[in-house]
Amino acid sequence: MRVKLCALLATAATLGLATPPATAEGPDILKVAIVQQIDSMNPFLAVFQSSTEIGRLMYDYLTAYAADDQRVTEGLANRWEPSADKLTWTFTVPKGKAWSDGEPITAQDVAFTYNLMLTNEVARTANGSFVTNFSSVTATDNQTVVIKTKAPQVTMLALDIPIVPKHVWEKVGDIKDYANDQMPVVGSGPFVLTEHVPGQFIKLRVNNTYWRGAAKIDELHFVYFQNSDAAVQALGKGEVHLVNRMTPAQFDSLRDKADVARNKAQGRRFTELLINPGAQTNAGEPIGDGNPALKDVRVRRAIAQAIDLDALLQRVSLGYAEKGAGLVPPVFGKWHWQPSPSEERKFDPAAANAALDAAGFPRKADGTRFSLRLTGRAGRAYDEQASEFLKRQLGDIGIPLDVRLVSDNQLNEVTTAATYDLAFSGWATNIDPDFVLGLHTCAQRPGADGKGGTTDAYFCDKTYDELYARQLSEFDEGKRVEIVKQMQARFYDQVPSVVLAYDNALEAYRSDRFARFTTQPAQGGVIMAQNGMWGYYGAEPVVRATSATSWVGWGVLLVGFMAVVLTVMVRTNRRQATAEERE
Amino acid sequence: MRLAGRLGGAALSLVMVAVLGFFLFRVVPGDPVVSMTRGRPTTAAMQAELRAQFGLDRPLHEQFFSYVSSLLHGDLGTSFTFRRPVAEVIGERLGPTVLLVGTATLIAVGLGLWLGVRAAWRRDSAFDRATTGVSLTLWAVPTFWLGMLLMMVTGDLFPSRGMRDTDTAPDFVSQALDVAHHLVLPSITLVAVVCAEYVLIMRSSLLEEMHAPYLVTARAKGLRDDLVRRRHAVPNAVLPAITLVFLRFGLVVAGAITTETVFSWPGLGLLFYDALTGPDYFLLQGLLLVTAGAVVVMNLLADLLHGVLDPRVKAV
Amino acid sequence: MNGFNADGFNADGFNAARLLEHKAGVAGAAILAVAALVAVVAPLLIPADALDVTRVTDPPWQAPGAGHWLGTDHTGRSIALLMVQGAGTSLFVGLTAAVLAVAIGALVGVVSGHFGGLLAGALLRVTDFFLVLPALVLAIALSTVLPRGLSTIVLAIGLTSWPSTARVVRAQTLTIEARPFVERARALGGGHGHVIARHVMPSVVPLVLVNATLAVASAIVAESTLAFLGLGDPTRISWGALLHQAQLHGAVPQRAWWFLLPPGAAIVVVVLAFTLVGRALEAVVTPKR
Repeated sequence: MRVKLCALLATAATLGLATPPATAEGPDILKVAIVQQIDSMNPFLAVFQSSTEIGRLMYDYLTAYAADDQRVTEGLANRWEPSADKLTWTFTVPKGKAWSDGEPITAQDVAFTYNLMLTNEVARTANGSFVTNFSSVTATDNQTVVIKTKAPQVTMLALDIPIVPKHVWEKVGDIKDYANDQMPVVGSGPFVLTEHVPGQFIKLRVNNTYWRGAAKIDELHFVYFQNSDAAVQALGKGEVHLVNRMTPAQFDSLRDKADVARNKAQGRRFTELLINPGAQTNAGEPIGDGNPALKDVRVRRAIAQAIDLDALLQRVSLGYAEKGAGLVPPVFGKWHWQPSPSEERKFDPAAANAALDAAGFPRKADGTRFSLRLTGRAGRAYDEQASEFLKRQLGDIGIPLDVRLVSDNQLNEVTTAATYDLAFSGWATNIDPDFVLGLHTCAQRPGADGKGGTTDAYFCDKTYDELYARQLSEFDEGKRVEIVKQMQARFYDQVPSVVLAYDNALEAYRSDRFARFTTQPAQGGVIMAQNGMWGYYGAEPVVRATSATSWVGWGVLLVGFMAVVLTVMVRTNRRQATAEERE
Repeated sequence: MRLAGRLGGAALSLVMVAVLGFFLFRVVPGDPVVSMTRGRPTTAAMQAELRAQFGLDRPLHEQFFSYVSSLLHGDLGTSFTFRRPVAEVIGERLGPTVLLVGTATLIAVGLGLWLGVRAAWRRDSAFDRATTGVSLTLWAVPTFWLGMLLMMVTGDLFPSRGMRDTDTAPDFVSQALDVAHHLVLPSITLVAVVCAEYVLIMRSSLLEEMHAPYLVTARAKGLRDDLVRRRHAVPNAVLPAITLVFLRFGLVVAGAITTETVFSWPGLGLLFYDALTGPDYFLLQGLLLVTAGAVVVMNLLADLLHGVLDPRVKAV
Repeated sequence: MNGFNADGFNADGFNAARLLEHKAGVAGAAILAVAALVAVVAPLLIPADALDVTRVTDPPWQAPGAGHWLGTDHTGRSIALLMVQGAGTSLFVGLTAAVLAVAIGALVGVVSGHFGGLLAGALLRVTDFFLVLPALVLAIALSTVLPRGLSTIVLAIGLTSWPSTARVVRAQTLTIEARPFVERARALGGGHGHVIARHVMPSVVPLVLVNATLAVASAIVAESTLAFLGLGDPTRISWGALLHQAQLHGAVPQRAWWFLLPPGAAIVVVVLAFTLVGRALEAVVTPKR
C-alpha cells in the first residue's frame, strides 16, 4: 500500500518536473554545427577557421566582398582612393554606422586597430601579414583614415582584419591575456556575442543597430561536435539546422531525408599531391630526403601524367569536386586558369612510361624503376582512399608506392622538414589570389634552421617569382589577371605539385526551419565559410509550427527511473517486513 | 608510518608523471607554431615572434626548468590553442567529466555490487549464470562501439551530442532536466562497460568470503541464510570489492575518454583528444597530471580505506 | 582497456562450477580455433582484387543480400571478406601485444620478487607508477609519437598493460620463495639461476599463461579503440580499422548497420572467447585453498 503511494507521488513529481517550459512562439534561432574548436574570441589572437568565421559576424572589416559576385564592396569604409604613386590610401568611414552599444563607428577605431597591430607584436598574431607593408596609419578626422605603405600593395582592399571599438579596447591592459568575454561583446557586425561555453557552444544575438539592417533571425548558436558524423546525425534529428564540411558519403546519406535541403557548392579549397622537387632552404641549402629522381621535371611531369584525375574524381570524391588544374579554384572565376588543349597533360600511362624511359629511369628486372613514399593524413577520407588509387596508377608506370598515413602533426612535420617524396596537401584560397600564389615563391622556403617556412611544395622558380613581383604592383586588374594566369601555367608546367581536385563544399540545412540562405557567390556558392557573413545574415526562417520535442525520450527515462525507484522501495519494504518477522 | 610511506609513494608517482609528461609530449611530432599558422598568411618573422611568445625558441633544458619552476608555483603554463592558463581551461572542463564519471560510477557500483552479491549467493542458479555471462560479454565490448550502437538504436529518443541544448529555458529545473536527458546515453555506455567488472569483482569477493570458517560455523549454528548473508558475508566481502573499485579507477578514466569522444561530451577526455592536434604541450601535460593525479588519489583512498576498515591489514 | 585484473577473477576452489567454467572454456577454445583458422586460411582464398578499392565494381552501401551476405562498405567491397581479412590483423596485434606485455610483466615481477633490495624497490616503484598512469592516455600519446604501423600499436599496448602481470607474478614469486623447500634449496647452495629456473618458474609459468590469455582479450579491445580514434595503421584492415572507416564515412547516418555491427560483434566474440579460456585456465591453475 505504502509502496504504491510512494510510487504515485514520485511519478507525479517527476512528471511535474518534466513539464516543458511552454513556448508557443519562441525566438527564431539558427543552430549551426561546427566541428572545429574555438581557440579564442579575441580577434587579434584567433587563428582557427571557426573562430575567424564567428569573428566576421561580430566585427566588420574595412571593406567587404559582395555576396552575389564577390567584388569588393562597402565595409566600414564606403570610399577609397589610392594616391598616384599608390603609396598612400585614403579610406572614408561614413557617418551613421554605430557599434552595438550605440557609440558611433569612426576612422579613429580603424586607426586604433591598425596601429595596435603595428606597435604590439601580440596583436599581430592572427592577421599580422596584412600590415607588414604599412608605414603609418592616421585618422585625419573622424571620417578619414590614411594608410601609407612602404611599397605599392595591390591587396589594400583585401585587408581581412576585424576592426575593434577603440573605446573598449584602449582599456585592455594586455592583449595576450584578454579573452574578450565581457558579454555582450561590443561589435560592429550583424550579430553580438552573448555567451561562450568552451567545448560546448557559442551564442550570438542579432545586432539591431547593424548598419545594413538587422538580420531576420533572432539568435545564432554555434554548437560544437567532435566529428562531422555526429553533426550529420544531429541535423537529421533537427538538433542543429546547418552543417557543412560533410564527406561525399555523408552528403549522399541525406539525399532522401525529409525536411533536409542540401547545398552542393563550389568550394575555396583544392587538394594537391606534392612532388618534392628537391627541397631547399631560402639560402639554397638542400633539406629533407626527397628522392633525387624527382628533381627532374620530366619525372614529375610523367608522374602527373600517370594520375587519372577523372577516376579520383568519380571514385574518391564521388563526383563532388572539379578536376584540378591551376592554383586558383574556379569559384574565383576570373583568376582561375585552365590549360589549353595543347598545354593539358592528359592521363596517359603509356606516354608517362616512355617519358620515364627517356629520362633515364628504365625499368629494372622486377619491373620497377624506383620506389617513392606517399605521405597522407590518417583519418582524412580523401587521403585514405586516394592513396589506394595512386598506388595502383603509379605502380602501372613502374613506381611502387610506400603509403604512410600519419596524424595531422606528423604530416606537418614531414612537409616542414621536406622528408617526403609525394604527399597530400591542400589549401583554402581567398578571393584575392595573392596568398596562395605567394606560398610558392622562393622566399617562403624555410630559413637555415629549417624553421619559418610556409610553403610545403618547396617550389623556387625565377620566372614564377618575377611574375609574382609584377602582379603585386599591377593595379590594372585586367593585366593582373593575365599575370596571375601565367603564373599558374608556369606552376602547372613545372609540377612541384599536382592540383588533384577542387573540392565541393557540401552543406545541408533543415528546410522545415529555414526557407533560404544567402550564398556567396549567388550561383553555386557556399552558406558557411564564406568571405563574409552573408550566409548567416541572410538566413530566412520559415513560419513554424510548434515543434514537439522528443517526448518519447523523456518517457523512456521516466519509466527507467520509476522502475529503479519501485524496485528499491519494494525491496526495502520486504526487508523490513522480514526483519520484523525474524528478530 | 605506513601512511607516510604511502603518501610519499603517491607524491613520487606524481613527480614522475610531471617529468614524463614534459618529455613524452615534446616528442609528439609537429611544431605547434606551424600547425597554428597553417593555412593563414604568415611570415617567417611572425612565426619567430610566436615561438618567442611561447618560449619554444629556448633550448629544451631551459624549457624544462622553467616548466618545473612554474609547476612548483602551482602554474601549469599557458595553452597554445586557447591562449589561457591551462588550469583555467582544465577547470572549465572538469565539471562535465566529474558529472559523467560520478553518475556512471555511482550507478555502476550500486548495480554491480548488488548483482554480484545476488549472483554469488545463488551461485550456479540461472540468475548467476545470466549475470556472469552478461558481465563477461559486456566486459568484451569496445566502449565506443557500444556508444555508436546505442546512438543508432535509440534513433531520435536522445540527443546525439554534448551536455546541453542551447535553447533550453534558463531556469534551473529545465537546465537540469536537459543535462539529464543528454546524460542518459553516455552514462549507460560507461556504466555498461565499468559495471561488468564490478559484478565480477563483487561476486568472487563474496564467494571467497563464503568459504571463511566463521561463516561455515554461523551456518552450522542454524542461522538463516539471508541473515548470514546480510550480517556477516556481505559486509566483509564488500570491503575488498570497494577497494578494488577505487584501484581500478584508471579503467573509468579510459572509458570516459572514449565515451566523451563518441558523444562530444565536453569534458577532459574530449579536451585531451583535441589537444593532441596541435600539439598543445602545456595542456597535454596538465591533463596527464590531472588524470594521473585522480588515479593516484583514488588508489591512496583505497589504501587508506582498506587500512582503516580492515584491522587485518595492519598485521601485514 | 586498462589491462585485466587477475584479482577480479579469483577462482572459487573445486566444485561443480568448475565444470561449467571448463565447458565455457572449451567453447571459448573452439571459437578461437575457428577464428585462428579463418585468419590463417581465408586470406589465401580471397582473390586479391576483391579488396582493392580501385578494382571493385559493386555499388557501395549495399544492404546484406544475395550478392554480398553482409553487404558492402563505402567503396563497394564485401564486408564479409573484409571481416575475414581483418581477423588476422586483430588477432596478430592482440597476441603480440599480450606476449610483449606479459613478458615485461613476468620479467619485472620475477626479478623484483626474487632479488629484493634496491633493485626490487626501484622496479616496484616503476610498476606502481605505470599502474597509476591511465593506460589509454599513455597508449594514445605513444601512438602519436611513433610512426604509424602495426608495431607502434603493439608497442603502445604492450608498454602500457604489463604492470598488473608484474604485480601478480611478484606476489607469486614471493610466496614460492617463502616456502621451506626453496629455503632448503638455497641452503644447499642453489644459486639465483637454480632457484628461479627450478622453483620459481614452474609455479609462475601457469599464472603467466592465464594472464597472457586475458591480456590478449584486452589488447584486442585496446587495438580497436586506438584504431577507432584514428591512431591505427589505416593501410591495414583490422576489425577496429573497419569500425573507424564506418564512422569516418558515415555509417551511422546512413543506418548501415551491416557495416557497424559485424566488426564489433566479432571483437566481442573473440574477446569473450579469450576471457572464457583464461578463466578456465585460471580455475585449473590456481591452487586449492
